[in-house]
Amino acid sequence: MNPVIEVTNLKKYFTTPRGMLHAVDDVTFTIERGRTLGVVGESGCGKSTLGRTIIHLHESTEGQILLNGKDVTNLKGKDLRQAREKMQIIFQDPYSSLDPRKTIDSTIREPLIVSRHFTKSQIDQKTQELMDLVGIDERLRKAYPHELDGGRRQRVGIARALALEPEFIVCDEPVSALDVSIQAQVLNLLKKLQKEKGLTYMFVTHDMSVVRHISDDICVMYLGQVVEKCSSKELFQNPLHPYTRALLSAIPSTDIDKPNKREILRGEITSPVNPKPGCRFAARCPYANEECLKLQKQEEVSPGHFVRCCRLQEISSSYN
Amino acid sequence: MHQKEIKTDMPFLSIKDLKVEYKSDGQIVHAVNDVSLQLERGKTLGLVGETGAGKTTIAKSILRILPDIGSHIANGEIYLEGENLLKLSENDMRKIRGNKVSMIFQDPMTALNPVLRVGDQIAEVVSLHSDNNNRAEHEKRAKEMLEIVGIPAERYYAYPHQFSGGMKQRVVIAIALACNPDLLLADEPTTALDVTIQAQVLDLIAELRNKYNTAMLLITHDMGVVAQVCDTVAVIYAGSIIEYGTKQQIFKHPSHPYTIGLFGAIPDMNEDEEWLHPIDGLPPDPTNLPQGCSFSPRCKFATDACRKEAIGMYKTQDGHDCRCCCIEAVMKGED
Repeated sequence: MNPVIEVTNLKKYFTTPRGMLHAVDDVTFTIERGRTLGVVGESGCGKSTLGRTIIHLHESTEGQILLNGKDVTNLKGKDLRQAREKMQIIFQDPYSSLDPRKTIDSTIREPLIVSRHFTKSQIDQKTQELMDLVGIDERLRKAYPHELDGGRRQRVGIARALALEPEFIVCDEPVSALDVSIQAQVLNLLKKLQKEKGLTYMFVTHDMSVVRHISDDICVMYLGQVVEKCSSKELFQNPLHPYTRALLSAIPSTDIDKPNKREILRGEITSPVNPKPGCRFAARCPYANEECLKLQKQEEVSPGHFVRCCRLQEISSSYN
Repeated sequence: MHQKEIKTDMPFLSIKDLKVEYKSDGQIVHAVNDVSLQLERGKTLGLVGETGAGKTTIAKSILRILPDIGSHIANGEIYLEGENLLKLSENDMRKIRGNKVSMIFQDPMTALNPVLRVGDQIAEVVSLHSDNNNRAEHEKRAKEMLEIVGIPAERYYAYPHQFSGGMKQRVVIAIALACNPDLLLADEPTTALDVTIQAQVLDLIAELRNKYNTAMLLITHDMGVVAQVCDTVAVIYAGSIIEYGTKQQIFKHPSHPYTIGLFGAIPDMNEDEEWLHPIDGLPPDPTNLPQGCSFSPRCKFATDACRKEAIGMYKTQDGHDCRCCCIEAVMKGED
């Protein structure tokens, strides 16, 4: 057991004019070195906020974050800067996450300069190595982001995140803006880098086929809470929470012989502002009854498989 | 008077040799190159391809809503019920838009007018294509449409910002369907939506299509959506159709190296694989398309013949069209 990231009861609330928005509510997990935790859910479920809170782009409201066993929850100033060298992020949109007035070279170089660990010639050498590592041609060194296509821009984002040799990287929907043929190139690159450098990923996405491909373990989030957590294999073979099942059945299958057996959900994701204590999925859940209005606990139904649903015993017998 | 030339022995929608160009910085962008396709009533044709392949341009050409400045239809004919839409006057065309042919736009966040009530935006289409001025009647129809797409009629008076993404997309669908169009152009209707909402919207579209026998041109890059919804499929690459056939033909026997690559690049939901199989390289620059086959620079089967002259459509073994002159080598390479 060698956890890189341990998150305990993490909460992130935002104050809005209408009340408290529970973006991340009581999330607990650990990620072992060299492994990938996939976080899936629909827009607005708090998956990006979770990633950003862990690496301190947002201050957490409550809870604890350990990086390599060291508490980094409330770091500030110089300590925070040092800790951040070990945790990086790759952003969703390769169009807006690069400075349009900086060349590719100076974007990749910037973290190396800011860290103050390297001499000028070391920085030159490292920048070159990073560009080779992610597969950006030498001729693009002096190019600006607008001259690059989405896939190459995302490679620049990856090179920048890798510059200070982090141990943990939050990948926030890194391929959702890319076409499938380019998406496959970037996913392969991320996997190769993980193998070579022993990186630990938290991979945030809404695409179930991508998350299945890249993750070792998966958290399914709904309105700020983790409703199901288990290994990637287990999740796709034996999904238990009604939301997970609906989510999986809603993916249009490319197999034309097997038409989807869809469990179509009624309604839409409800508001995360001042949520009631009960199950947040209850309003759309086909199995909901008055028991679901009570506080839901996360339970371990089999080793390593956690589900947050009080009626699981009853309803799982009706699954086929 | 405008002379109408109507051919009766044609499919419901028939596009012949459509060629569309944009001008940009003094260069010519070859957005659509000699596209021909047919669609019958009640059927759905999927246009599949990556960003910039020219899918949306084809749909906009049918409605003739390409920007006036900087784009023009260089060649081709678009027949709807035997009538060439490209020959119609702007006045006649306006009667068709939103009425006989309507379009669902990709991004529900920008397709609606933020300062008008959603109901009024639906009623606007109805009143434009109605022969009377009875406002109450148009409002009633708009409310009916809201109910059809699953939004309570009392939300007529709401503004777009009060709706979620899924609800806005339903309003866009309600606008498109308000006049019972014969042809629906759906441009990535569910791309901006979450999967559970996508499932609802796809079901809704399918239900309405069956009820009114509407023909639909569905533009998407999602092969899963195509598998669920379409009858026939056209795969577009760099502005040309490179493979064209029924859904069964394309999904069971993809024959063009690009189509095969596209299927191969999707992470498999049923099998574990260590590495994905991306298509090497990038789509070509549409201002400077390669000679011959536009896919040849990325194709592992390409020969000198592929790089010389334009490639025609070939029939594959099971009888669908494929724009590849190395089709036999490709089939062997696959087995």
